[in-house]
Amino acid sequence: MTETIPPDVFAHLVGLAALELSAAEAEYLRQQLNNQLKAIHELAAIPLDETVPVTSHGVPYTPEISPPPRADEWRPYPNPEEILEQAPLVDDGYVVVPEIPHTDLE
Amino acid sequence: MELCDLSALELSRLLRRREVSAQEILDSTLERIRAVDGRPGTLEPGEALPEDARRIHAFISFTEDQARAQAQAVDRQLAAGEDPGLLAGIPFTVKDIFCVRGTYSTAASRILANFRAPYTATPVERMLAAGGLMIGKVNLDEFTYGSSNESSAFQPSPRNPWNLDRVPGGSSGGSAASVAAGEAALSLGTDTAGSIRQPAAFCGVVGMKPTYGRVSRYGLIAFASSLDCPGPLARTVADAALMLRVIAGPDEHDGTAALVEVPDYLAELERGVRGLRIGLSPDYFRITAPNPDGSLNEEPIAPEIERAVLDAARRLREMGAEIIEDVPMPNTRYGIPAYFVISRVEAASNLHRYDGAKYGYRTPDPVDDLHAMYRRSRAQGFGLQPKLRILMGMYVSAAQYSAQYYRRALRVRTLIRRDFDRIFDPSGPYRLNALLTPTTPTTAFGMGAVYGDSVLMQYADQLTVPSNHAGIPGVSLPAGFDAAGLPIGIQLLGPDFSEADLLRIGRAYELATAGEPWRAARPAIFDAAR
Amino acid sequence: MTEYEAVIGLETHIQLNTITKIFCACKADSWFDPPNTNICPVCTGLPGVLPVLNRAVVEKAVLLAAAMHSEVRPLSFFDRKNYFYPDLPKGYQISQYDCSLAAGGYMDVPMPQGYVRRVNIHKLHIEEDAGKTKNAGGVRLIDFNRCGVPLVEMVTGPDLRSGDEAAQYLIRLRQLLRWLGVSEADMEKGHLRCDANVSIRPRGADYLNPKTEIKNVNSIDAVREAITREIERQIHETEAGRRIEAWTLDWDEETGRLSKMRSKETEADYRYFREPDLLPVRLDDAWRDAILAQLPELPLARRARFMADYGLPEYDAELLTGERGLSDYFESAVKAYGGDPKRISNWLLNDVMRMLNDRGMSASELKITPTHLAEIVKLVDADTINTSTGKALLVKVQESGRAPAEIVQAEGLAQVKDDAAIRAVVEAILQANPKEVQAYRGGKTTLMGWFVGQVMRQMKGKADPNLARRVLEELLG
Repeated sequence: MTETIPPDVFAHLVGLAALELSAAEAEYLRQQLNNQLKAIHELAAIPLDETVPVTSHGVPYTPEISPPPRADEWRPYPNPEEILEQAPLVDDGYVVVPEIPHTDLE
Repeated sequence: MELCDLSALELSRLLRRREVSAQEILDSTLERIRAVDGRPGTLEPGEALPEDARRIHAFISFTEDQARAQAQAVDRQLAAGEDPGLLAGIPFTVKDIFCVRGTYSTAASRILANFRAPYTATPVERMLAAGGLMIGKVNLDEFTYGSSNESSAFQPSPRNPWNLDRVPGGSSGGSAASVAAGEAALSLGTDTAGSIRQPAAFCGVVGMKPTYGRVSRYGLIAFASSLDCPGPLARTVADAALMLRVIAGPDEHDGTAALVEVPDYLAELERGVRGLRIGLSPDYFRITAPNPDGSLNEEPIAPEIERAVLDAARRLREMGAEIIEDVPMPNTRYGIPAYFVISRVEAASNLHRYDGAKYGYRTPDPVDDLHAMYRRSRAQGFGLQPKLRILMGMYVSAAQYSAQYYRRALRVRTLIRRDFDRIFDPSGPYRLNALLTPTTPTTAFGMGAVYGDSVLMQYADQLTVPSNHAGIPGVSLPAGFDAAGLPIGIQLLGPDFSEADLLRIGRAYELATAGEPWRAARPAIFDAAR
Repeated sequence: MTEYEAVIGLETHIQLNTITKIFCACKADSWFDPPNTNICPVCTGLPGVLPVLNRAVVEKAVLLAAAMHSEVRPLSFFDRKNYFYPDLPKGYQISQYDCSLAAGGYMDVPMPQGYVRRVNIHKLHIEEDAGKTKNAGGVRLIDFNRCGVPLVEMVTGPDLRSGDEAAQYLIRLRQLLRWLGVSEADMEKGHLRCDANVSIRPRGADYLNPKTEIKNVNSIDAVREAITREIERQIHETEAGRRIEAWTLDWDEETGRLSKMRSKETEADYRYFREPDLLPVRLDDAWRDAILAQLPELPLARRARFMADYGLPEYDAELLTGERGLSDYFESAVKAYGGDPKRISNWLLNDVMRMLNDRGMSASELKITPTHLAEIVKLVDADTINTSTGKALLVKVQESGRAPAEIVQAEGLAQVKDDAAIRAVVEAILQANPKEVQAYRGGKTTLMGWFVGQVMRQMKGKADPNLARRVLEELLG
């Protein structure tokens, strides 16, 4: 696990993350990622036997303290129009965005 | 002493005795803000003004009208003999990571700068329902990503009231600074790796990270969902206890808000520490210091900080607590590496929704298609810190890497939790009620001194982050100053839902040091602002 | 000449008919609502929101899993499936990945040709639905009303062998979903959505070749046709020496053609991880038992029982176990009747069914109760009324809601069996129609029906037609 992130892998990540970066930003961030990976690689050396499970929440959620699922009751939200007002572009009640990139048809 | 410098409990007493009105409290607060805060953070700060460097800049936006209306309501209720609520008339600030209806809820990011929340976060709702006066939204590191508040898109970013060339800490920098400077008695912050406790330590105030699930996260713009904890900042332990009582408890909007009764945290506060077992761990007195190339060194913590902790231990022993030394916490040093992985995976996912489509910033540039809109909006809307976290998150959660990074980090998290389980186990070898540690590896560093080195910045949280992984509660208490006059914080960590005990120990320490000269010190801002 | 067999697996998404969405308290059904009105901060993925699980979703999913003979897990987990798409406001879908609510299971699909195809279930999990988008002149419009509607996703093994079998599977599945009351399962409304994975291999082989995925099939007929076409295409390509590539294909309903689609999201790495905002789904014994107590006798089991216990032919039994309301109605009527169930079956499947179809009603909406139906059949059995009066009585009971015997009494509908009265009417008719009498006596015996009709008409339908016929035969010679 001693690899660092080369520019091509980095560029791929940028695409996956739906970002675009200037050359300077890209180089700075790539360098920071690689520095962080050095710290992360500390984890590799820790002896972890197979029986050590993952912990998703530090606090153990026993049945007693876990909120149960809710009842199936309709509570209409009082001001849905305030949600729609936050959209940058709305038309006739729909949120408007540019079209999805061309799908290949034959 | 001005009204705005009094504790919440004091103000509450005076109010109920009708010796002051809520309006007077509000006026005092607003006057202090005018004197010390300077201009609030904005997206286009332009050239630095000469006075910028002598002001706090804790705020992003104000809710003065609502505070005024609330103050009037409180005064009316008191006049009518009604109970106006536990926080009636108490001025408080809210870290701008919480949605509050009718305010811009920005996360200190350009991507949400124009977002007017249509709903209010539960902890804020509760403070308002208790009669609190919400003064405004305070600044933070963008999306809470940072330990200095410098990464905010709203500049100028906050300065440390004790030394205006220093950072207030982060990410709840605005919260800590506003409380330290008397701009509010209370502040609602969040702590994911130490973001309440570290700025509290840097700014010489009390800051508590409650147990994960103690306070509802509904309305908290998420960073790392399994780590985020809303919590109180205040100038005294009792004030923190009062605020915690109001905000804690189950919430139908949060399926992870634990069904655990909320005790009256004030009731046992003065009980003292006789019979309590408080531990000290050598693993918290050695710190990891990253080099500029990312490699890591280990060194002992600054002697002044160690002394502050040992002095606290001595005082607590004098008051009847048992101090247990040499408590091993071997997995402490893996807290930051594990955090780099776990928090980034969750953050990258939590930031997916900011795409310019349904709220927040959408690029005004002409774009060819939807994906170009996503990329451009996110590129223009996010600062460097969000971009960095997203990219790291994408990398370590990618299918081909996820086992070696993400799963492994989650298993290391188990080891970190087990360290705490062992020391707190009532039938274990240590049977501690609390662990006493320094809060931070250093005192407040200079503005611009660390920013840019993301590893160094993250390691500022190395003594606080293990408790975030474990979910347990922790509180930072002011414990004097270093030779440079910068506040030192000491930290108490306890078992799940042991906030009452931690506050009680904190109160005992507060009492034991009540007469110390450093208690009389005043932040430098009060001189600078004249 | 190689003989090929088709290998088909289906991935279905089933919209559950809970009252509210899976993670918030908005309505689950907003088919008729204007866009973006059935929304709240949670289902639109606003900053700071959290999902809260709806217990009815778990209950309906468990019922379905049990009916599919799946093993329900006592502890299951939600996971985030991360990708960008305009109908997905959070940028991730909350789903279940490796530890879903149920595992395994099967459904037996009887085919008209007489064999049964067992279809294994590989995956059964719950997840939230996305919103709807549509293209409008170069831009995309988004409606979030449907975001957060609860779905069960079921993926079969590659066990189906033809478009017909796939169609039958969906027919059975739809029947089962309605039977259990967990989904309206109307494909046209998107309650039941289906993608098909299709490949071919030489008959007798046991390996799997690359498969194509067919999307956007919105009816059972479309599924049948699209799959059949694709099998043909793959055979054609294979015989021509070309390889089958793992394309995603879009079915165009209008033209009946498949076209290749390249959708970026299907290539994505979804970076699944445990949803930190939701605790694991804890199905303890008490809850599970309470849910399973609601599990009804399933259609195929009941069909077998109707054939065995009631001696009904398969055709009748199939129809009488098609829809639960009708089926329960039938059984109540049989119990009230006490006689040969086939009699009730005939009445139900003919006259009552016709009434239901004409009026667009379901059996449970009838004012005619099962007991009423049994009563009518008994009245006809006892010859108190004739069959056509019985049919008319159905309508009268439906319209008035009154009991059959009451109406017969009140309107004097009882058959006239009085020989003298009938005789008098017959004589009058023969008198009035000498031509027809002549024709009949001349050999045109088909006129008997006409004569009986005349008697019935004259006596306002109340004559016992058998008696009328006997008298006519007697007097016509």
